[in-house]
This record gives sequence, structure tokens and C-alpha cells, in this order.
Amino acid sequence: MFTYNFKYELKLLLRSSWIQLLTLLLLLLFVFASYNGKQKVDKRTADITSAQTVVDTSDKETLSILLAIEKGEDLNLSPWVTPTSPINIGNQNPRVAAMPANEMAFMSVGQSDIYTHYVLPKVSGDDFALNLSEMASPIQLLFGSFDLAFVVVYLLPLIVIAFSYNVLSEERERGSLKLLASQPISIRKWVFQKIGIRMFWISIMVLLATTVAFLLNDIKSFDGYVLFFVTCVIYMLFWFGLTFAVNIQIGKSTQNAFVLLGFWIVFVLLIPSIINQVSDVLYPVPSRNQLINEMREHKSEAEKKQDQILDNFLRDHPEYAVNNDANSKSFWHSYMASQKIVKEELQPLLSEFDNNLAKRQKWVNKLQWLSPAILVQQDLNTRAGTSKADYENYRQQILNFSNEWRDYFMPLLYNNQVFTSEHFSKLPIFQYKSDKSIINGYRLWGVLLLTSIVLVIVIITYKLRTKKEYSIIQ
Amino acid sequence: MKNTLIKELKELFRDGRIRLAGGIVILLLGMAVWISSSQYHKIKQQNKISEAHERENWEDQGEKNPHSAAHYGTYAFKPQYPLGFLDKGIEKYAGTSVFMEAHKRNEAQFSPVIDQTGLARFGELSPDFILLFIIPLLIILMGYNSFTKERELGTVSLLKSQGVKSNNILFGKWLSLFLPIIAITLLLFLIAGILLSGLEGFGWGSLFLLLLVYWIYYAVFINITLLTSRLSKSSSIALVVMLSVWIVSCLVVPKATGNIADSKYPYPTRQQFTTSVLVDKEKGLDGHNPWSKEAKKLEQQTLAKYKVDSLAQLPFNYDAFRMQKGEEHEAKVYQKHYQKLRDQFAGQASTYRSLSILSPFLPARFLSMGISRTDYHSHWDFEDATENYRIITQKFLNDNFAKNSSYGDWGYKVDSSFWKDLPKFNYEHPSLNKVLEQQLFSLVILMGWLLISFLLLLTVKNKI
Repeated sequence: MFTYNFKYELKLLLRSSWIQLLTLLLLLLFVFASYNGKQKVDKRTADITSAQTVVDTSDKETLSILLAIEKGEDLNLSPWVTPTSPINIGNQNPRVAAMPANEMAFMSVGQSDIYTHYVLPKVSGDDFALNLSEMASPIQLLFGSFDLAFVVVYLLPLIVIAFSYNVLSEERERGSLKLLASQPISIRKWVFQKIGIRMFWISIMVLLATTVAFLLNDIKSFDGYVLFFVTCVIYMLFWFGLTFAVNIQIGKSTQNAFVLLGFWIVFVLLIPSIINQVSDVLYPVPSRNQLINEMREHKSEAEKKQDQILDNFLRDHPEYAVNNDANSKSFWHSYMASQKIVKEELQPLLSEFDNNLAKRQKWVNKLQWLSPAILVQQDLNTRAGTSKADYENYRQQILNFSNEWRDYFMPLLYNNQVFTSEHFSKLPIFQYKSDKSIINGYRLWGVLLLTSIVLVIVIITYKLRTKKEYSIIQ
Repeated sequence: MKNTLIKELKELFRDGRIRLAGGIVILLLGMAVWISSSQYHKIKQQNKISEAHERENWEDQGEKNPHSAAHYGTYAFKPQYPLGFLDKGIEKYAGTSVFMEAHKRNEAQFSPVIDQTGLARFGELSPDFILLFIIPLLIILMGYNSFTKERELGTVSLLKSQGVKSNNILFGKWLSLFLPIIAITLLLFLIAGILLSGLEGFGWGSLFLLLLVYWIYYAVFINITLLTSRLSKSSSIALVVMLSVWIVSCLVVPKATGNIADSKYPYPTRQQFTTSVLVDKEKGLDGHNPWSKEAKKLEQQTLAKYKVDSLAQLPFNYDAFRMQKGEEHEAKVYQKHYQKLRDQFAGQASTYRSLSILSPFLPARFLSMGISRTDYHSHWDFEDATENYRIITQKFLNDNFAKNSSYGDWGYKVDSSFWKDLPKFNYEHPSLNKVLEQQLFSLVILMGWLLISFLLLLTVKNKI
């Protein structure tokens, strides 16, 4: 019976050109989406490279000036560009702190259109106000990107629904169901086979489209390729499970379409946005305006008491005070000291931002199990290295590096040391480390779990109504 | 026609699915309005507090050098336009406060999306989401089988035998879809109007224009739905076709257009932008650098103009004068680079416009944001206002510095009462006329959609 069913389905699908149409559609969607993703990745890589080139060029120049000065040449440089001042180097020769794209980044734009992928932390400037947001047209951010994650999360379920919302009802509406009823197979088994066969074909098509997309974009990660395909299949499995349930529970084609579409809206549009909004209400982040107000007050206080702050600072850091006499205090000495104070005073409020965002994220992580769309989206984002967690990780690393950078120059500044070519070779360097623990396979298991819950519910309710099987055929 | 209308309306209300769908939409809309209005009031409150606080900081600076105050700077907070609570537009992705300081024009910073979880990108349960995405879907669900059901139930021949004009049936069916939608949206907008009427800057004109835009948008969807229903062989095909139309126009086209626009007219990265500004700044006068070539030139010119031999003989503090000249040069540099950015966006906007012929969603989206003053133009309008204020502030401070101190006197301090003399930053949202001017093209395209879809609907014959 299965082989017969298989052949019949194939004939039917080919004759109605469903297979041809869907193959073409999937190919188009996958190729266009992956091209868009790849373009963004290429731009990101090029931007980082060009920033690095600029830094390299300016490094060479600075080094040659330093060497010349060390040889005793007088270059007649103005005090705020001369590289012998440590603060000048700290401000004018920053390092590129970049977050390069991983190989799978093209799959999902995720948060990558909001954040910047390289910054150049300097000695001066407020690192709490460190602007990691990228310059982008907000219209583009509002509409979002047409990437593979979008195709998979939003469109693939719709294709599944359109492909199989009426497998049973169609037979009934055509009148061929009565013929089938005379065959030695139960309706449930038959619908199950039919949906399974369609699932098989659509998986083949997705495999083809994935292969083409990966080949065209020259993606060499085989693991990434397999995992992407597996993700698609598992996600489709959920939607096929749902269509199976709806097919055997509900009667007419249009009703099926109605209900399935309703599920799509709930899982893909409503649940994510409601979870997000409720997280806003439950864990409100203090207003950024409030942060500004507080920062301003502390700054103005600090400004008024600058001399006192510097004295206190030097008392706390006797190592800096050793070589100091009153005359060698420059603007920078008091600036750095008061900046440090302001930063420390703001710390409680700043951590409130971080804590509440972390709490929100935790809450969202708990509720992500309510929707396979969220699970798959997060899964793709984390593997593309474009999830919120990745950018949070990057931000933390930047903050650490920023401190490291400042700490390198502080002793030089307070000891009034001359910056030399030897110092130059020992400057701290930033190396982004991606956090592998963000990537987690459990989300895919979650989708499988949801699928099995759907199937179990179907079987139980079906068992309860088996006696009515005849009425389904009617 | 009246009979058709009544019959169709009865049928719609009888249909359990429609009742359920309609009920859900109204419930969601209610939730969205409630959430949105509470957020709106919270932000408004916060802005008021922050503004007062910031002004206090400014006025309480005590005795200080004006240029130190210029570096201390001041903040402007972006006020919300009352209609922003119906359509939040780009607010989530645009900065909310601008730091205005000496020598530097800053972009608005702290966009709300930074403080949200990754789910924020799925969308938001806000009135504009329901108005733009969900109500068209409701229209489709209500109308996909308007004609196909007559055929499927075999009532076509009955209808024909009655001698009813086919156009009367069409209008009856059209109105039966339009009236419930009108009722829901009118109610929503009236409630919104009452909630907002006390607020500063609110105008009923904008509110009704916004409503009108949505009605046109819905009429377009009704036309396409009925057209598809007329042309389809069966109800289920009509439904699938209409859902595809919805997905393509509301999701696929906007996203794809965004990608195309962005790759054709890319923005520079923040760092690149800063660097190119810096390069241009260095070509001209730097207020803090008296040794540069430009500074020497200015020195010569000023000495010649006032016919004196040294800077100390000038009737004003030359340091402050140079600072102001530098400020003017820098303002020009920023003007040039921000203009470049806008030109880039103008290119993107033309891509959006030309692809609007593929989706009625796009013109409706842009019009709705525009009228709600939550679009990109309004955001720029605010940023421009802050830049003007920054320039005025710098001049105010530098002029005082120049007039009341002498060359080299960096220790000069003004009285603590001086800060109050700086006028407050006051922002007014662009007028409705200005918005319509900016959005004229979207309006034309939306009307084009309406006319063409009507014409097609009237000329096409039922497929029987």
C-alpha cells in the first residue's frame, strides 16, 4: 500500500506541477536570501579590513616619528600630536577591536544590522556611553532583512501549510475518499503516509536549495551545512505534525487553511511579540534619559571638585604620586582621575541596565519553548554568531579591553614617562573570542518535543473518536 | 444592493470563524492600545523630568568659563508626537537623546532596541502592527469566498434568476467587507482622539487623515480580495492566493526592498563617518589650535581688518573669536557630511518608491509613519533642530567670551546668573503640510493602487 501511495502521490504532485513550482520557489528564496546575507557579511569583513589598514599605516608613521625622536631629531611637533606623550598615543593610535564574522554569519542577519563590528577604544571618552550601535537607516531596521533565517522561520511553514493543508479534505471534496475507504488501510495511517511523503519531497527540495545556496556563496563548513538542513527539517516536522493534526481533526479545506494560518500567526507573530512586550513590563530597564541625568550631575560635581579629586586619587594611588610635583600636573591628570570617579559613581545605575537586560533575557529564554519559531530563530542566530548574546559578549570584551588600554597608559601618564618605541611594541591587542556556550543544540530538541506534544494530543483525541471514523469519510 | 449588503453582513456575523477572528482582532487591538498608551505616557513623563533636570544642571553651573560650559554641553530629549502612540514607526530604532557640545555634532543616541532582547525583531504588539498587518488579513478571511461560495453553494443561478445587476451584487459585497472594518477603525481612532485630545500638539486633522490613509489601504485589500474571489476556481485556491498576496506585500517586498536599497546605497559605518568628518575638519580651522595654517591665515586677516599689530590690541578676546570661527567651519563640515547621508537615504527612498508598485503596504507604511511624525524625516527634523540650537548655544557662549575678556585670558569666568539667559530648547514637530509634501509620492502611489484595483475589479468578469 505504501509504494502504491508513494507512486500515486508523486504522479499527482508532478501533474499538478506542485513539485516543479515549489522547487523553483525554494531555490529562488534560498538563493536570494543567502545572497543578501553574504553581502552583509562581505561588507562587514571589508569594513574591518579597511579599518585595520588605516591603523597599520598610522602605526608605521608613528613608529618612524618615535624612532626619529629617539635618535635626537627635532621634528617641531605641537604638544598634542607628539607621540612621546602617552596620552596622545592612547587617543590617536587606538587598536581596532573587531568582531569578525564567522562562516555561518550569512545565514542570519540577527542583530548584526544594529551593532557595529569594530570600535577603536581610546583613553579619553566615556566607555559607558560607548556607542556600539551602527549607523543604519532605521527604515531598513524596521523592515528587517530578507535572510535565510527569515525564509526558514517565516516562509517555510507557510509553504508547508500551502503544500499539505488539504490532503484529506481534497480527496473528500473530489469524492475519491470513498474509493479509498474501500482500501485496506486506516484513514489515519493513510493521511500519515501522505503527509510523510510530502515531507520527504519537500525535504529533498530544501536540501537541493540549501546545497545550491551554500555552493553559490562558497561556504565550506560541512557541519554548518548539515546543521542548517537538519534545522529546516526539524522545523518543518513541527509544521507537518500540525497539518497532520488539523487534517484529521477538521473537515473542509478552507477550514483547515484558516486554522493552520491561525497557528502560524500565533507561533510566528503573536507569541514572540507578546513575550517581548511582557518582558518589557516585568523587567523595565531604567530610562536612558535617567542615566544621562545622573551622569551629568556627577560630571558637573566632579568638574567643580577637580583638584580635590586629583589629590584624593593620588593619595589612593601613591605609586603615581611618587614622581609628581605640583607643576607636572596637566589637564589629563585631573581629567583621568575625575573620569574614573564618575564611572565608579555611575556603576550602580549601569549595572541596573545590565542586570535587568539579563533578567529579561532569562525570562525570554524560559518562554522561548512556547514557540518553535523563536527556538529556530535563536538557534540560527547563535550559530551565525549574530544573536543578542554574541553582541553582549562582544560588548563585555570591549569594555575589558578599554580598561586594559587605559590601564596601560595610566602609569605612564602619572609617572610623567616619555612614550618610546619600546612601549609601542607592547601595546595591548584585542582579539575577539566567540563564546561557544551560546550555541546550544537543546533548542532543536525543544522543537522536536513540541512536535511530539502535537502528535500525542492528536493520537489521544483521535483514539477518543475512532468510532466516528466513518463520519470523517462522509 | 441593499439586500446583498444585508445578506452578506448577516452571513459574516453568523460565521463562527469570522466572529472568532474579528473578536481576536478587537481584543488584540485593545491590548495594543492599552500597552502603547501606557508606554507613551511613561516616556512623556520621563522626558519631562529629564528635560527639567538637564536645564537645572545647565543653570546651576556657577561661575565658569563659557568655553568650559560649551564642552560640558547640554542634552536634548526627543519629544513624542501624540499620534506616535498609534504608529511607532522607526522610534524603536532611532536614538532618543542628542548631546550638544562644542566642536562636535552628535547623532541621537540610545535607541530603545539596544535595551531589548533579541525577540524585539519579531515585531511588536502595537496598534500599527494590527492596523497594517492583521486587519488586511481579517479582510482576506472575510472576503476570500465572497464569489466562490455562491458557486460552491449553487446560489449563482438563483441570483441570476432574480435579475439583479452584477454590479449591485459586487457593491453589496464590497460594502459588507468595508463597513465592519470602518466601524472597528473608526471606534479605535475616536478612542485615540479622546485619549490624545488634551495633549499638546495634537490635531484632529492629522488623526483623520491617518484614518483616511488606512481606509484607502483597506479598500485596496478589499478590491484585491474580491478580484481574486471572482477569478478563482474554488474558495481554497482563492484563500491560498490571497494569503500569498498578503505575505508578499506585507513581509517579502518590504524586506527585499530594504536589502536592495541598502546594497545599492549603503551607509558608511560609524567609524568611517567619523573619520571622514575628521579629515574635513582638519582641512579647516580648529578653534583650539592657534598654530595651524588656517589659524595663521585668520590671524593675519583679523589683524588687517582691525588695523592693529597684535592680537592683544583687538577690541575682543581673539581666542574666543577664533573658537567661534572654528565652530562655524566645523558646523559646515557636519552639514556637508550629514547631507551626504541624506542623499544616500534619498537613493534608498527612491528604491522604496519604485518598488511600491509591488506592494500597497509600502506607501501605506510610509504615509502612516509620516502623519504620526515617527518617520525618518521627522527624526531628521529633530536632529536638525538640535544642531541649530547647538550652533546658537556656541555663538552665545563664544560671543560672551570674546566680548568680556581679553586675549589669552583663559581664566575668565562668567557670573552664575549668566546661564539662564540661554533660551530653552524648544522643538515643534513638522506641520501636516510639510509631511504631506514629503509623502506626496506615497499618497499618489496609494491612490494609484486604489484606482487600478477598482478598475480591475469592475472590468473583470466572474469565472464560472
